[in-house]
Amino acid sequence: MKIRTAFATSVVAFLAATGTAQASTTLTILMLEGLDKGAMEAVADAYMAAHPDVTVEIQALPWGQFFQVSDLRLRSGDENIDLIYTDAPVVASYAANGYIAPFGAEIEAQARETLVASAGQAGTFEGELYALPMNSSAQVLYYNIDLLTEAGIEPPAGLTADGQASADDIQAMATEGRWTWERLVEAANAVTKTEDGRTQTWGFAFEQFGELYQLQPLGASLGGAIISDDTMTAADYLDGDAWRQAANWWSGLFNVDEVSPRALGFGEATQMFVNGQLAMFVGGTWNVPAIAESDINFGIAPHPRFAEGAAVTPTGSWYLGVHAASPDAEAATDFATFATLSAEGTGIWFDNLNQLPTTLALLEAIDTDPAYDAFPGSVMRLSAWESRNTAQPRPVTVAFSQLQDAFRTAFVDIANGVDVDEALVTAVDAYDEAARRLNRQ
Amino acid sequence: MKRLTIPLAPIALLPALLGLALFRVYPIVLAVFESLFSTFRGERLFVGFENYILLLTDNGFWQSLWVTLWFNLIINPLQVALALLLALMFVQKVPFIGIFRFLFLIPIGVSLPVAVIIWRIMLLPDGLLNGFLGALGLPPLRFLTSPELALYSIIAIATWKGISYWMIFIIGGLQNISPEIHEAARLEGASSWQRLWLVTLPLLKPTLLFVLVADVTINFLLFAPIFMLTNGGPRNSTNVLMYEAYKSGFVFGDMGRAMAIVVILVALLLVIVGLQFWLLSGRRQGAAS
Amino acid sequence: MNWLRSSQMRKGLIYLALAVSAVVFIMPLWWAIISSLRPNDAIFRDLFPFSPRAFLPEPLTVEAYFGIFERGFGTIIWNTLMVAGLTTAFGLVVNGLAGYAFAVFNFPAKNTILAIVVVSFMLPFEAIAMPLYGVVQQLGWIDNVAALIVPSVANGLAVFLFYQFFRQVPKDYYEAARLEGAGPLRILWSVYVPLSMPTCISAGLMLFIFQWEAFLWPLLAMPAQEFKVIQVGMASFQEQYTTAWNELFGVAVITALIPIVLLLPLQRYYVQGLAGSGLKG
Repeated sequence: MKIRTAFATSVVAFLAATGTAQASTTLTILMLEGLDKGAMEAVADAYMAAHPDVTVEIQALPWGQFFQVSDLRLRSGDENIDLIYTDAPVVASYAANGYIAPFGAEIEAQARETLVASAGQAGTFEGELYALPMNSSAQVLYYNIDLLTEAGIEPPAGLTADGQASADDIQAMATEGRWTWERLVEAANAVTKTEDGRTQTWGFAFEQFGELYQLQPLGASLGGAIISDDTMTAADYLDGDAWRQAANWWSGLFNVDEVSPRALGFGEATQMFVNGQLAMFVGGTWNVPAIAESDINFGIAPHPRFAEGAAVTPTGSWYLGVHAASPDAEAATDFATFATLSAEGTGIWFDNLNQLPTTLALLEAIDTDPAYDAFPGSVMRLSAWESRNTAQPRPVTVAFSQLQDAFRTAFVDIANGVDVDEALVTAVDAYDEAARRLNRQ
Repeated sequence: MKRLTIPLAPIALLPALLGLALFRVYPIVLAVFESLFSTFRGERLFVGFENYILLLTDNGFWQSLWVTLWFNLIINPLQVALALLLALMFVQKVPFIGIFRFLFLIPIGVSLPVAVIIWRIMLLPDGLLNGFLGALGLPPLRFLTSPELALYSIIAIATWKGISYWMIFIIGGLQNISPEIHEAARLEGASSWQRLWLVTLPLLKPTLLFVLVADVTINFLLFAPIFMLTNGGPRNSTNVLMYEAYKSGFVFGDMGRAMAIVVILVALLLVIVGLQFWLLSGRRQGAAS
Repeated sequence: MNWLRSSQMRKGLIYLALAVSAVVFIMPLWWAIISSLRPNDAIFRDLFPFSPRAFLPEPLTVEAYFGIFERGFGTIIWNTLMVAGLTTAFGLVVNGLAGYAFAVFNFPAKNTILAIVVVSFMLPFEAIAMPLYGVVQQLGWIDNVAALIVPSVANGLAVFLFYQFFRQVPKDYYEAARLEGAGPLRILWSVYVPLSMPTCISAGLMLFIFQWEAFLWPLLAMPAQEFKVIQVGMASFQEQYTTAWNELFGVAVITALIPIVLLLPLQRYYVQGLAGSGLKG
């Protein structure tokens, strides 16, 4: 009897001891399945090695349902979620809905010193920093050298598998060698081959058909913003002169010149390019490995601009925010800064995922490190140049989802032959209605 | 005798009713309640019928309602008729029927997302179907990218996916018809068409009612192919109400508007289903049983 | 002579109809089967523009099927079979009993309750996903397989289906069995069920397919993703930047075949008796 009591007491004491010695915290990150998850695991492992009292768990969701399911779980105030992986433009609505908590002045100051300006800007809502960037993205022009030369077109100045490019070469390529959209359509016309009303070879395509992320540079190149600075309206912006001109150019791709396939599904532009059925496409640098593996003789040039306009490129990618309902907000914040601001965390993320970084230190290293002279490292160097010189983040508005949907609807409709003015005005109405609804009071 | 049967009724009903109450009816009540709220900056505000009033003055809503009704007016009779035809073919006793039966069952197991991916490829401007049209010397059609055709392409895909499933229910119903009735009709010299119209179909009414009610419900709430293929376009030609609700709730985070649309949609559905009951089941039976 | 000709013509017509429907049914899936036998980068090779070669597996490889099982799809299929099987088994009993009660007993507010049951399947799952998540959370079933099975057992559509068929059984059968001293449960088992075998199979199929295609709910209810079902597993083939098309189609082929294989042995219940009397001269 006594022995048993003694035993029980010692068990209780032991449990209490381990309990205090290891006030263990479990941080759960809601994130995307796939390569991103693998990279986050590597970052988490490094963090856990330095913080033995913290366990980082990753709950992954498939890409197609990521936003829907994470929104449902955040809305239900699920305390099991400490950190949220999210896309840049959703930050505003998450912040407005109180799903994520601001980081505070100290971390804001640290972020300003560490990050490239456009990346911090996209994580900021109403003057407060709500999300920290994991990485950014860049868009480039892929071109099939053989198809262009066969059609008598001299390919643009670009990066090719056997070439080298110093930081100065990149600078020259991006400032002087950049193709214009007008030149591109000319080339696309020369390449496009049609037999019996069926196109055998297409001239050009955008990777993300009709998406705001992909097409924002069209209007922006001509100086057009999509919505007003106070985010209340799109009238005179999305249906203003710059966007009208941009939308007419877009319409021409499908309805006049017929050099671009309508309604490409996700990933299909890359597939067609790899199969030699598409001569040029604007797409993310994430396509480089798949294309390099194929036997296509290709090059990579800077994102085009309009002849009378400026060079503007898409940017922004994944962010990390702290869930407002998290019971371990302090630990979660610490992990977030480790992953996004520390040299160690950002280094591990970059090494694992090889996406365009957002810290000035890593961007600087890409400029100077000779490892980026050769292809495909040189593509990263080009992206790094764009991210500091031409990158324009998407507008920050609580009604971003509505804006994105209205924009996509308008541009898909235009490609399908709907009148440009009608489509743009419809999109403006849809956005204005949503902005009124979400900004009342 | 009646006295004895009463205790069993609650016991037989309890598990199903309990499950439905907890996992369907209670969530439904909460969801419908949500249509009286609006979320602003993370705060839920009671707005009464404002979400409904805003909808009634919204042109997009009315257009979407029209698309929904037109879509259902076509797809439901089409699916039920084709499923019936398929069921009649399925029960034929001819050589090699086993192979055909196997093929007829295929779409049941193909999930909707996969069916949609496959059909999209078939319907591309340079895809298989246009290849056939080309072989016949016809110009290519823009199945999913023209406002005139997109809705019908969606109907075709949903029908391909759906009729095998409904066929199974109709075969089950055919099985409930006693062979003697057919034999008697045949001996009286009724032709096979007469037997179909005068014997099979009337006796199949309860099955057809079930299939029609279930099918109408599913098609009223269908939006996955639209979500995956057209996003409601081109020019809103495929923007059914359920897709509009889905977008409001899950893409725009506006649950109040989403639920208001769903409530209106379900109210409409109830009217239509009620009409079907009234037409097909005969009121007296419903009252007597 | 006339009779012979019309009979042959009828047969020809039946075969023509059968063949046309068969082609329509198999063709899209044929492309999926072929694609699952190609390497991933060759899937779209013959599609833009379409050439008949898209219907041939060249180059031929079964790497997709190895990939599928390396991803643990053996377990995933087993998980789904278990969830769907248990739901079907419990669902047949629970909904069958309720349908029976509605069909043969009289009790207060019967028509009202029946109407609520019928209406309960008329709301889109998306609309109730959130509140349902709350209920299951309070029951403590998140990440528990019970969360996948229990909420799907009671099904308004299945109750309605059983009710619709059980009430077609002539009341005389019930009264006769009562006079012989059989209890209501015994009558259900030995009179109603044998008479409605096809209905039971249809209801079972409905419950099974519901779980076979379940997607949004398993994602919500099983956030740790240690227990995956087929649709969730398939979704992970489509990643942010790439899609494993050949594996996706490979799984699609496997998942399409399993319900058919389960259904085929049951078709004898469908094609006895009446078979052929519909159109055969």
